[in-house]
Amino acid sequence: MLDETFNELSDLALRHSGQLIPQSKSYLMEARLGVIARREGFGSLDDLAHCLRERPNPTFEAEVAAALLSQDTRFFRERETIETLTLSVLPARLKQTSNGKLRVWCAGGASGQEAYSIAMRIDEVGGALKGARIDILSTDLCKGITERARKGTFGHFEVQRGLSIQRLLNYFQRQETGDWRISDEMRSAISFRQHNLIDDSSGLGKFDVILCRHVLSGMDAVARRDVVERLVSQLLPGGVVMLGEGETLAGITNSLEPSMAYRGGWVVSGTAEREAAA
Amino acid sequence: MKRCLIVDDSRVVRKVASRIVTDLKFDVIEASDGAEALDHCRNTMPDAVLLDWNMPVMNGLDFLRALRREADGDKPVVVFCSTENDAEHIGEAVRFGANEFIMKPFDADIIESKFAEVGLI
Repeated sequence: MLDETFNELSDLALRHSGQLIPQSKSYLMEARLGVIARREGFGSLDDLAHCLRERPNPTFEAEVAAALLSQDTRFFRERETIETLTLSVLPARLKQTSNGKLRVWCAGGASGQEAYSIAMRIDEVGGALKGARIDILSTDLCKGITERARKGTFGHFEVQRGLSIQRLLNYFQRQETGDWRISDEMRSAISFRQHNLIDDSSGLGKFDVILCRHVLSGMDAVARRDVVERLVSQLLPGGVVMLGEGETLAGITNSLEPSMAYRGGWVVSGTAEREAAA
Repeated sequence: MKRCLIVDDSRVVRKVASRIVTDLKFDVIEASDGAEALDHCRNTMPDAVLLDWNMPVMNGLDFLRALRREADGDKPVVVFCSTENDAEHIGEAVRFGANEFIMKPFDADIIESKFAEVGLI
């Protein structure tokens, strides 16, 4: 790959999604754009970059930018977080609400495994959560991924990563194609929407919990700060932001501080102590 | 070190699975059918069994049923590993006492994920 190609594609990623691809990871470009390049008949990424330059096409550009993002996801990824959410955070929030309604946002939810894992776990935990109305919104930058997530159909390899056989039997139905489709009941608990986290998020409404796991860490400092502030402004009073394992907001924002009640949770600064005492 | 018994009539599958399971820090023993596997278990109970369904002499389901009747036969974690991967077959394996089920074809990531699911790693 020419240096020029690397520069153009990494600029494209930065502009579209705030994602930073260091030169040391240029192999990721080859891996992630291979399918698109072949489909469009380009012999190399240099040809693809040349085409983007000579014949600007916003739709194709957006598709390339989305493909450059990591789509690494699995069911029940970092399950302690899912457990904390469903056993602690949501029940506590439920006690604070008067209408029995909660909203959860999976920001950067890729093909839906995170949102479906939460829906399954809520169903299993039952009790007060079952009677509550918990709306889950899963958003991703990529249109194709969002459509696939909405269908709730997963392949042979996907359903065997993070999903126990009991859950597969309980919540999925095998299709004639060999894929597995999650039940309508689980699908109805979730809305899927294409959304870029660097854009205005006010149209999505406010949330009790926002999960943003392993999304920020791939971003450059400016985009990361912007995205975090946007997340903060969509948080209901007393709401919680949950990050991926090993991720921190220290040095990125002063608006949030680590929750004292929930591991991996972040709350509006100045409220953690009150939250822990509640 | 934990011991894993790999039961499959295909030498190629045993070889592939063996390499993956060894990487997960298990001692590996191999058997090419259920009867041979049962002999191994009567000798020393493994911690885990990766079990094929269709095999000559004694198939996976018959082995599982026999194993669970042995003294300490409830101890090994049994992970079925089969191409019979419709809900009916999977459900049957689980009812007979399988702890997990891997649908073939598998890769290292799937075996690792399923072993983690049942607390083997």
